[in-house]
Amino acid sequence: MNPHAKLISSMSLIMGTSITISSNHWILAWTGLEINTLAIIPLISKSHHPRAIEAAVKYFLTQSTASALILFSSMSNAWSTGQWDITQLNHPTSCLLLTMAIAIKLGLVPFHFWFPEVLQGSSLTTALLLSTLMKLPPITLLLLTSQSLNPTLLTFLAISSALVGGWMGLNQTQTRKILAFSSISHLGWMIAIIAYNPQLTILTFALYTMMTTAVFLSLAQIKVLKLSTMLISWTKTPMLNATMMLTLLSLAGLPPLTGFMPKWLIIQELTKQEMTPTATIISMLSLLGLFFYLRLAYHSTITLPPNSSNHMKLWRTNKALSTLTAILTATSTSLLPLSPLIITMF
Amino acid sequence: MLKIILPMTMLLPVTLLSPAKFMWTNTTMHSLLIASVSLHWLTPSYYPLKNLTPWTGTDQISTPLMVLSCWFLPLMIMASQGHLQHEPHERKRMFISTLIIIQPFIILAFSTTELILFYISFEATLIPTLILITRWGNQPERLSAGIYLLFYTLISSLPLLITILYLHSKTGTLHLPILKLTHPNSPTSWTTLLSSFALLMAFMVKAPLYGLHLWLPKAHVEAPIAGSMLLAALLLKLGGYGIMRITLLTEPVSNFLYYPFLTLALWGALMTSSICLRQTDLKSLIAYSSVSHMGLVIAAGMIQTQWSFSGAMILMISHGLTSSLLFCLANTNYERTHSRILILTRGLQPLLPLMSVWWLLANLTNMALPPTTNLMAELTIMIALFNWSPPTIILTGIATLLTASYTLYMLLSTQRGTLPTHITTTPNSNTREHLLMTLHIIPMLALILKPELISGTPL
Repeated sequence: MNPHAKLISSMSLIMGTSITISSNHWILAWTGLEINTLAIIPLISKSHHPRAIEAAVKYFLTQSTASALILFSSMSNAWSTGQWDITQLNHPTSCLLLTMAIAIKLGLVPFHFWFPEVLQGSSLTTALLLSTLMKLPPITLLLLTSQSLNPTLLTFLAISSALVGGWMGLNQTQTRKILAFSSISHLGWMIAIIAYNPQLTILTFALYTMMTTAVFLSLAQIKVLKLSTMLISWTKTPMLNATMMLTLLSLAGLPPLTGFMPKWLIIQELTKQEMTPTATIISMLSLLGLFFYLRLAYHSTITLPPNSSNHMKLWRTNKALSTLTAILTATSTSLLPLSPLIITMF
Repeated sequence: MLKIILPMTMLLPVTLLSPAKFMWTNTTMHSLLIASVSLHWLTPSYYPLKNLTPWTGTDQISTPLMVLSCWFLPLMIMASQGHLQHEPHERKRMFISTLIIIQPFIILAFSTTELILFYISFEATLIPTLILITRWGNQPERLSAGIYLLFYTLISSLPLLITILYLHSKTGTLHLPILKLTHPNSPTSWTTLLSSFALLMAFMVKAPLYGLHLWLPKAHVEAPIAGSMLLAALLLKLGGYGIMRITLLTEPVSNFLYYPFLTLALWGALMTSSICLRQTDLKSLIAYSSVSHMGLVIAAGMIQTQWSFSGAMILMISHGLTSSLLFCLANTNYERTHSRILILTRGLQPLLPLMSVWWLLANLTNMALPPTTNLMAELTIMIALFNWSPPTIILTGIATLLTASYTLYMLLSTQRGTLPTHITTTPNSNTREHLLMTLHIIPMLALILKPELISGTPL
């Protein structure tokens, strides 16, 4: 992509995110969201493949609809309460509309249909941006208004996201779609706890971003777009495949890896709030996700020679591993003993 | 505690940094040293908890299992030398590292007094075991074996996590000694019933209980020898140990809760022993015999009397040693013929007479011959169950009979009879294998002389 265009797009992304996160006024928050939407469109469609163009159009349409709904909810709140403060969202219709709008923006069920296809149409790095950076402004808005939102609705969104994210991911062979459904399921976990302890949502989001970035960067390093490629990619970087297995199992939430920490803390908070059935349902649904993470782990490392060698092997590359991937992989597998420290950071 | 945990964790750098010539020697020797130092834990005392740190404490229930797990690491390393000898050096290193990574977690699981740390260590043993089974197993079925292992364990242990956290929100602490003191529970509410059920299910799947045991034959059969030894000797005992610790949290006893588990455990002992008589796969036979013995452990754990806990402890230790010994023997067969089929590896006594001594001893201890500790355990459990309810003697008696019959079947099939015609040459048993069997048998024979060490009661 043209370096100037890339510069403008990335700067706009950073600007849009910063505007939304740091704003007090609804109009400014909406502005930041729109800047983000517009800035990432060229990044999605940069390969000019028909699927990429379609992904860009789907992304634009859904996100604009959601932004318009956010604007409408803030305006109706301003009409009835006379102020545009984000944290003072008091009108019930506005709260409902905002929840739905953010659900569309984030890709929560039942508004998740755009997300896998948009991720599939973009490159791995853009998919990373879509899964992590583009989720930050909407979650910030939810965090700021979390005290006035309807907990039942949020719980419903959470459980159905965990359900659909786990279930639909089972039949996928394209890694980007698998990671899309993993993102939907993790977002469900984040939304489950937002009404009771927003710090845990921030913690879950931060840890999820770290682990997903590690996975996406590892996949981008070995250019693995589907499961069959992953099966033969171990010759390129055997160590990366082995550590990717651990990062994937961390995403699945297995102790003693880092991914267990958000699940543990969320279940603790939910049981404290007397929502034990919700905690049980959402944790059992995360086992569905475990199946496809395990299948990814099997493909990346576990089915290795001398057990299965009847396949064409890819050439080993000499590309040095990026330090960022190494750091993120290390943190996303070994941070659990530091949980007391990490909780205090959020 | 640290004098064991730190050296055990440092075994990992030993493996990764040893020169290739000395890797096996270093790891085996250092793990043997750790095992011998760990024996001091067995000194009995009347104190409720010894070796106290803020997060661990040992008593007579946990120390035999911890000593067993320390003892097994050198044995697993020795047993794996055979099938790994042709692998590149890096892969051997990775294998031993996987074995070493499990050890601190098992020690933590058996010694911790904090329930969340217990949960984390309990689950943490799963990933390295999964790697052992699916990465180093030999048949394509190992993939589904790994999935069964992971999913059976996790489906039952997530409710355990939730119930532990629910306990935390109700009582404010998860420290076992304090939980022992502050635990009023209304015996008739649904919440109590469900929470007791959830607390127990994870260990029932691990132990395993008869209806939930499907992961075990798959995992044991597909695992390499170190994986089978690990599973049979240690990970199953996590289930038994968990039952013994958790049942103090499910007081007062509700009959609704315990009848299903007792019934399934005792009936399962019968059923799995009968299945053993019809097995064609040697490792599968030994796996089902594990289910049978652990069924007795679960039954003893459910009735919660002093004798039954004592019997369960002795049975866990003796079954661990016996089952692992049988798996090692089956592995010597497998390494020679690359087949686990019983009738293909029969009549070995004329070929390998020294190994047949170990086969004889292993099978004699498996069928609970006097004066082995297996017999002491089974008798203690049978008597405790008889005291609780006389009709159980029928089930336990038939289970003992069937155990003896399938063990005899295994012994006679592998050792006696005509040699199969396709075995023309067999490498002789080497010293490493004899050493392995010796190191299994010597604790068993020594414990005959002082079974109080593993009986879970202070002297």
